Amino acid sequence: MTNLTVGEQLTPIVIEKISRTDFVKYAGASGDFNPMHHDETIATATGNPSVFGHGMLTAGLMARVLTDEFGPEALRKFQVRFSKPVWPGDTLTFTATVTAIREEEGKTFVDLECTCSNQDGVEALNGSATALDQN
Amino acid sequence: MSIDFYDQIQKFVGLEAGTQDGHDEVNQAMIRHWVEAMGDENPVYVDAQLAAESIHGERIAPPVMLQAWVMRGLKHRPESGGSPQDDLMNVLDGAGFTSVVATNCEQEYDRMLHLGDHLRTRTIIDSISDEKQTALGTGHFLTTRVEYETLEGEPVGRMLFRILKFKPGTGRSVSTEEESPPRPLRPRPALNRDNQFWFEAAKEHRLVIQKCSDCGVLRHPPRPRCDKCGSYEHGAVEASGKGTIYSFVVIHYPQVPSFDYPLPVGLIALEEGTRLVADLTGAEASEFKIDMPVILEWQDLDPDLTLPAFRPVKL
Repeated sequence: MTNLTVGEQLTPIVIEKISRTDFVKYAGASGDFNPMHHDETIATATGNPSVFGHGMLTAGLMARVLTDEFGPEALRKFQVRFSKPVWPGDTLTFTATVTAIREEEGKTFVDLECTCSNQDGVEALNGSATALDQN
Repeated sequence: MSIDFYDQIQKFVGLEAGTQDGHDEVNQAMIRHWVEAMGDENPVYVDAQLAAESIHGERIAPPVMLQAWVMRGLKHRPESGGSPQDDLMNVLDGAGFTSVVATNCEQEYDRMLHLGDHLRTRTIIDSISDEKQTALGTGHFLTTRVEYETLEGEPVGRMLFRILKFKPGTGRSVSTEEESPPRPLRPRPALNRDNQFWFEAAKEHRLVIQKCSDCGVLRHPPRPRCDKCGSYEHGAVEASGKGTIYSFVVIHYPQVPSFDYPLPVGLIALEEGTRLVADLTGAEASEFKIDMPVILEWQDLDPDLTLPAFRPVKL
């Protein structure tokens, strides 16, 4: 049985001043080379103030909050919506809050609500996840 | 958007967009790049000895990395003879929807991936939205369903991925605030002694209706004399804010910079019996219907102007 309670927040992750280098590292790691994420000339030509981060980079960082708590093998379902772009220099705070604890076939599942906000409190990502609780 | 174009893109829905094999097996080098990009220090991804002593018995790949194992890379898309997904992207590009941004991702994991797993994807075009005006621009949401399995056919996970294909430069918030001129205010109402009370009440979030003090008939818009009995004496009552759409228009042109377009404007039949013209909010312009029940929502547009708007009642 879990020692978490509904409404409890997991240990958040803060990424200080995410950089273009962080975007490039993710492009290399994921194989997603959409130039909007690393080529300033192309990004600004289409009306953006600068390059912006990959949604799946924000999602990957969000998932760390979950895998740090439950372990990588516990993550069953992870869904995210990219609500606003992440810009170079943004400081991002990733939080996950327990919304339900369910027993199913003798196993305990934890449902969570996930959010990433920038330094101005603007939400860049929201989502939800289900993890198997093994504690 | 023409009906023909909508039909043309909807033909792709439900099509199998083909299978694709990962270029490489799940491997330590790519996992290391990934965990470094994520700042993830869990040793089970990279430390063979610690991983061997863990419940996994060997190194594993981070779950969210699923998508990366069958990434196509930035190869040139074939102009013809590609998969249905290629063809659909070409059709959208050809219509000017050349930019792409990811909007949603849902992943499910059946098991951990280990070094040496070789993945294959099967992609199905799940849905294509009609044309939407978004902050980034005018575009179509395109959702694909991707099944991940090993080359041996064992399912390991699945992903629903939604992108927006949009026309660059058609958005509302693409430029920074410094670059874009401040948005002009809404046109001012022509205030006079007869209608001032109505706009003053609106500032206090009260929707009022003028009422003849002699015969009691309600009237809108405000005017000095009762149509029914001719009296010049009047007061006001507060409306409930409930009504139905008596009629409406969706304005596309000409565009005034202080409004968002397409702009749905309704003639609202209040339950008290009078009608008024107001913005319609809370739904896509195409979703409003005559007789639709609506409810009042105040719009504080600027410090000097508050106007009523109406949104569909959620049933």
